[in-house]
Amino acid sequence: MDIPSSLAIVTLAALIHASFQLSVSVLTLLSGHAIGAKQSQAKVARLTFGFVGGVGVMTLLTLSFISLIFLHVFGPNTPHFVWALVCGLLIGVGLAVWFFYYRRDKGTTLWIPRGMARHLSERSKQTKHTAEAFSLGLTSVLSEILFIAAPMIVSALVLIQLPGMWQLVGIAIYAVISLLTLLSIWILIGSGHKLSDIQKWREKNKHFLQFSAGGALAILGFFVYVCKILSDVAGAA
Amino acid sequence: MHEGKAIDIVKRNGRRPTESYDIEKLHASIVAACLSAQTASGQAESIARAITKDVETWLETRPEVTSHDLRRVAARHLKAHHPDAAYLYEQHRITL
Repeated sequence: MDIPSSLAIVTLAALIHASFQLSVSVLTLLSGHAIGAKQSQAKVARLTFGFVGGVGVMTLLTLSFISLIFLHVFGPNTPHFVWALVCGLLIGVGLAVWFFYYRRDKGTTLWIPRGMARHLSERSKQTKHTAEAFSLGLTSVLSEILFIAAPMIVSALVLIQLPGMWQLVGIAIYAVISLLTLLSIWILIGSGHKLSDIQKWREKNKHFLQFSAGGALAILGFFVYVCKILSDVAGAA
Repeated sequence: MHEGKAIDIVKRNGRRPTESYDIEKLHASIVAACLSAQTASGQAESIARAITKDVETWLETRPEVTSHDLRRVAARHLKAHHPDAAYLYEQHRITL
């Protein structure tokens, strides 16, 4: 696979990651609690930026870790059956997102274990320092690992085939793009937009976000299947 | 204000220990919702006072209520004063 195609896959995977909503929900709760506790605008900005920083660092670490594992296990030439498994995983997770991502309730409640949701909600309430917000960011990435694992795994498989310098570029592209939603919310909150408007938009458009994330995962799975497996088989024939 | 009459709040359909009704807790949660909706501090306090009064009137005939009902009634009264704050108050438990 050439470098532009590889980076295109990483970019699409990162966009899918960015469309997942758990970290956005935690950021919304964190801002609401901080504003409700009469924190200054500067403190709210520091807390929320700490949270976004934590999400960014954990995304970088997780992607690098998965890439390192794959590099050790498969080397730069991943077997075709692994690519096929990953394509199946992408399509499977895409279907699961279509059917199960949001609970059938009002609001933006997600299909994650309720104990975990309560823990994140309580932690967002208790967070008073930037370091705590940073660690909440780290935790929230791990909490949505069920959903973000598929785009991360395919990105890691693509990245380990690239030359060293491009691997770093790819990881940076993934981290920055996956943070775009959080950065947008951070800017909106920092510029004084109402939390209620942000949450109303999220609630109103949740089915669109769910459909586009699930659809994009299935499309990515199909694209990787054609790009990697079919083209290699056709080339060998 | 409810002085002398204890009202039990059943939390999460009994899955967490029952608590006594705490007017300060209700007041603080409404103030927080109003502040989150960018209401001035003084106005948030005055809305919270009005809502707690309404909720206490509703509680007068009830020895025991669920936390869900308490929240629902408070949100209904808050909606009349500040729809955005009521929305955030309702959404708090269903954001994640």
